[in-house]
Amino acid sequence: MQAENPRSTARLFGRPIHVMLVPVPIVCFVGTLLTDIAYWRTANMQWANFSAWLLTAGLLVSILVALTGVIDFFGDRRVRGIGAAWIHGTVNALVLALSIWNAFVHSRDGYTSVVPTGITLSAIVVALLLVSGWNGWSLVYRHRVGVRSGTSG
Amino acid sequence: MRRAHLCVATLAALGALSGCGPAPIDPHRQVGANPYLPAIHQYLLPPMLVSKVVGWNGATPTVPAGVRIDALATGLKNPRSLYVLPNGDILVVESGGPKPPISRPKEYFMALLEKKSHSKADPPQRITLIRPAANGAPAFRSIFLDHLNSPFGVVLVGADLYVANTDGVMRYPYQTGQTRITAPGVQLTELPAGPINHHWTKSLTASPDGTKLYAGVGSNSNITENGIGAEKDRAAIWEIDRATGAHRLYATGLRNPNGLTFEPTTHALWAVVNERDELGPDLVPDYMTSVRDGGFYGWPWSYWGRHIDPRVMPRNPAMVAKAIMPDYSLSSHVAPLGMVFYTGSLLPAAYRGGAFVGEHGSWDRAPINGYKVVYIPFANGRPAGAAQDVVTGFASKNEARGRPVGLAIDNGGGLLIADDVGGTVWRMTSATVAR
Repeated sequence: MQAENPRSTARLFGRPIHVMLVPVPIVCFVGTLLTDIAYWRTANMQWANFSAWLLTAGLLVSILVALTGVIDFFGDRRVRGIGAAWIHGTVNALVLALSIWNAFVHSRDGYTSVVPTGITLSAIVVALLLVSGWNGWSLVYRHRVGVRSGTSG
Repeated sequence: MRRAHLCVATLAALGALSGCGPAPIDPHRQVGANPYLPAIHQYLLPPMLVSKVVGWNGATPTVPAGVRIDALATGLKNPRSLYVLPNGDILVVESGGPKPPISRPKEYFMALLEKKSHSKADPPQRITLIRPAANGAPAFRSIFLDHLNSPFGVVLVGADLYVANTDGVMRYPYQTGQTRITAPGVQLTELPAGPINHHWTKSLTASPDGTKLYAGVGSNSNITENGIGAEKDRAAIWEIDRATGAHRLYATGLRNPNGLTFEPTTHALWAVVNERDELGPDLVPDYMTSVRDGGFYGWPWSYWGRHIDPRVMPRNPAMVAKAIMPDYSLSSHVAPLGMVFYTGSLLPAAYRGGAFVGEHGSWDRAPINGYKVVYIPFANGRPAGAAQDVVTGFASKNEARGRPVGLAIDNGGGLLIADDVGGTVWRMTSATVAR
């Protein structure tokens, strides 16, 4: 008989909401870096406009992602006992703060809305997402957070 | 909203990631031929102060001793510019700009913000004629010309009345005394408008000999954020041949030129120009300048001569090298939209021969600057001395009773001021004139 897995508190029909939504900001923020690079290489404003929309969309969905993440973290003591959960949460908080900063930088007009501060922030955010993502995957695939108890492969 | 509040909010939101930039200087340090230019500061959130419109409620603007001011007409809808016909009839252009497209999230928020400081009235896009009675009170009002497309500039040459819509110069037949034009009008030339049309006001004047028209065509962005392709034939003064409608660019690099007027003694063309935003509370100074044929005045690549704007890519050193330094700084973010040389004799001698400028005021500075009419003395066709505040009291710290825009001189020598959010045309006369 297996032990109970750590629970995801914010769930919909037994499925954790956090992992449903988290791909949206990840894709948006990675996209921001790509369109920032495209703008830097071409100086075509349309790419900078893409970046501004991607950042905004990513941040809007991040509100729900952060909320469900915090609920899961505080909803089950066993989640808080996992080291990867602390790293995941801290790094993602940093990602959010940097992306809010980045959104303001991207609200400037012209070249300096992207180069150098904006594109630098976008690159740091993507690097941080790899760290928080790696730890997030550990939470699910190693520590079975939110996985139905008693299931086997 | 106060700058301090915004700073606090920003700092809180960003976890103290950024400071709030330099303290604003005394605007007087930037008035004149050699303005102090601070270093560029680019913000995360630029300081902004959008005045809440409260209206006049019977009050009047403040004027110095020796002159008086009265409302010539009230209840107008967004009066933006004025033109006095030879018989003394006054044309009031009641106009507004097109709705800007939302191409970035920022523009959505800017639209919300700017709504607060503009007239609530839907601009009727028409010209109203006012015929003052002998005692100066408005005796007669008529809708002169209707169904226009964001009109701004008006000029009469002989029997041809020209109206600069935002998308083209129209010609209408006019006879002295006419109070309404029903003729359809003929388009003399198109002007750049299009789906963005960021700076929409097309100022208009005629050369002293009447053969050419000059139209101010503002840029399609703050600083090329809509792409350089959107700026074709913009940020320029067009010279239009009155006989054929053919045009050429008379001068370029003028971000948003308005108040086009020929100086009465030298017959040089002058303009007031709205410079770029979001480089700090004291950059970039708005200015008045004589406009040289073929001259380039910097926008977008540089400001105040050869000061490079880092926001424009690719850079253009060849054009920067050609950039002419303007004649006279009015200080930053005053938003001059009207100018007139005073050729009358009604006002005291201190106001003769120089230029009045209507400063509409901008969102991009806290505390606000502008929101007043100033007078710049001239000698030998050049500015000679510091600008003086003449008509003030349009705004307090963060509330606006009105905002001055276009200016004109009526046949009696009074200074007329279009006040768009106040819905009023003001008339400034000598204190010795009985109402």
